Amino acid sequence: MKKNYGQIYTLPLTLWLTVFFTIPILIIVAISFFKKGLYGGVEFKLSLDAYKALFNPLFLKTLTSTLFISVITTIFTIIFAIPSAYYIARSKKKDFWIFLIIIPFWTNFLIRIYAWIAILGNNGLVNNILIKLGVIENYVQFLYNQWSVITVLTYVSLPFAILPLYSTIEKFDFSLLEAARDLGASKPQSIYKVLLPNIKSGITTAILFTFIPTFGNYAVPQIIGGKDSVMVGTIIARELTVMRNWPLASSISVALTIMTTIGVLLFSNFNKSKTEELRELKRGIK
Amino acid sequence: MIGGELIIDNVSKDFDSVRVLRNANLKIKPGEFFSLLGPSGCGKTTLLRIIAGFEYPTEGAVYLDGKNIINKSPNNRHVNTVFQNYALFPHLSVFENVAFSMRLKKESNEKIRKKVTEYLALVKLEEHVKKMPSQLSGGQKQRVAIARALINEPSVLLLDEPLSALDAKLRQQLLIELDAIHDEIGITFIYVTHDQQEALSVSDRIAVMDRAEVLQVGTPFEIYENPANLFIANFIGETNNIKGTVKNVDDDIITIETDSFGDFKIFKDKEVSIGDTVKVTIRPEKIRISRERPTDTDLPINVLTGRIDELIYSGFQTKYYVTLDVNGVTFKVFKQHIKYFMDDTPFSWKENVLIWWYAKDSFLIEVK
Repeated sequence: MKKNYGQIYTLPLTLWLTVFFTIPILIIVAISFFKKGLYGGVEFKLSLDAYKALFNPLFLKTLTSTLFISVITTIFTIIFAIPSAYYIARSKKKDFWIFLIIIPFWTNFLIRIYAWIAILGNNGLVNNILIKLGVIENYVQFLYNQWSVITVLTYVSLPFAILPLYSTIEKFDFSLLEAARDLGASKPQSIYKVLLPNIKSGITTAILFTFIPTFGNYAVPQIIGGKDSVMVGTIIARELTVMRNWPLASSISVALTIMTTIGVLLFSNFNKSKTEELRELKRGIK
Repeated sequence: MIGGELIIDNVSKDFDSVRVLRNANLKIKPGEFFSLLGPSGCGKTTLLRIIAGFEYPTEGAVYLDGKNIINKSPNNRHVNTVFQNYALFPHLSVFENVAFSMRLKKESNEKIRKKVTEYLALVKLEEHVKKMPSQLSGGQKQRVAIARALINEPSVLLLDEPLSALDAKLRQQLLIELDAIHDEIGITFIYVTHDQQEALSVSDRIAVMDRAEVLQVGTPFEIYENPANLFIANFIGETNNIKGTVKNVDDDIITIETDSFGDFKIFKDKEVSIGDTVKVTIRPEKIRISRERPTDTDLPINVLTGRIDELIYSGFQTKYYVTLDVNGVTFKVFKQHIKYFMDDTPFSWKENVLIWWYAKDSFLIEVK
């Protein structure tokens, strides 16, 4: 008889995920249904107050703006990531470029965000250069608004989009582009009609890897953002640490998790349906 | 459809200062089935890619029906390519692959359906319209690639080793079909291959290339029977090379002295004078093998004695490697089995035999 060793092999991972992932999530879900304690913490009385608070117009506005920032960031990231990944995949110095993409990870995430203050700040690099060149007379306020948040979030997401795109494009048969050109396609047409449909799986991964972390991001809007760029992540942190409203912080987290999960499921189903169709077709023929 | 006339005018191409194509000059007639034949790295694919527009020549020009096309992008040239690895679009069905160029031109659905069906019928793939490329066999993929290239009605079709990934039997069959398609639609075909059998069997003319240069252009008959140099003689088919010195020149017969096995006679097809060092080649299938001296001919012949060193039976023919008695020189002799077991007992390994050939069947290839 054949034993199922698979479960034994995955036991360490299962344990790890149970202790450090599943249980904490259950704790968060539990807290969200309790009453808020006076000085933080919870009173162990069941209550839906935290969920009622979600329908506060101010929170809904933050949610919309978070969605807006995440969508725009994802679009920018993908637009920048596809050409970069394409270039790296066709380059003779692939390792060198991949190395450059990975280097930023050697520096702490927060420090990299603070570095943007040095670049975009009122006394920062960009302002100084523009003033020296005489393009502007006085400094321009680049930071602490929605667009500075989008810029930095795009910067943060780029490696996570470039790497999966690179690994897909690297497997792409570039002679297909020549075939398309040969058959009368212009350069943009060959990209649009042949390259993009064939690297769809990479684009899907890149979108998920960009959108999900951005949607829940906390540090970037906190450091770079202003009043118009408060994100859901910022509110969770504030409710937890400043307002000491643990149930509310938890209910927002739960809502965020549910929304992201539904989004991912819808998105990947939409992409899968076509692959499934093809598989069905193959089965039918065999 | 009318085929295009293609003129390759002194085309050269450098890659990183390495010359991969040197002063290629070719004139390909409208409707011709023209092959570029040579070993890998000889520049044949580069030349094809220059014609297709994927490479820009370092020097020279390419004229299609009188117009220089080197500055046109690939999508604006009236040529189409059948790629070596098929290059079918994996995300599109057979139908959409073939319809690709028509969709770009925004033709009506009705027109597309009609024409795609017509071209899929031409390559005998009507039943597979709905399949994806991954569901097709290699031969079927190549048929789709051919239909996809032809539907654009190019005046020249470029084929880049289209059959090299297929097995021998399928290759033969597709080659015959390709020839039939060429006859049917009548456009110019330029066929790149390293396989001399393929080139010989379908081409109207062949350009033999080696080390970035075009060495000889001619009909398959000319290339095989009268190769311009030793490389071509050895590359196209198999051959026996003999080196010697001219000893005597008659009206139409030259006597050549060799170091290894004495004198032999050849037909005079080039001017030589006594004392010239020459190389002579004789094709293995033109050498006869027998036990007795032939008596039924009064044409000049050469007869040598030797021993069968190696014997390779391959059905329709046997290859004998006969080593001469005098000086260890080995001759390749191919014998077709017209009536193998009926005329005489088969030759056996290590048997002493006579080999002989008509003086007119061997020819001078290099004179110094």
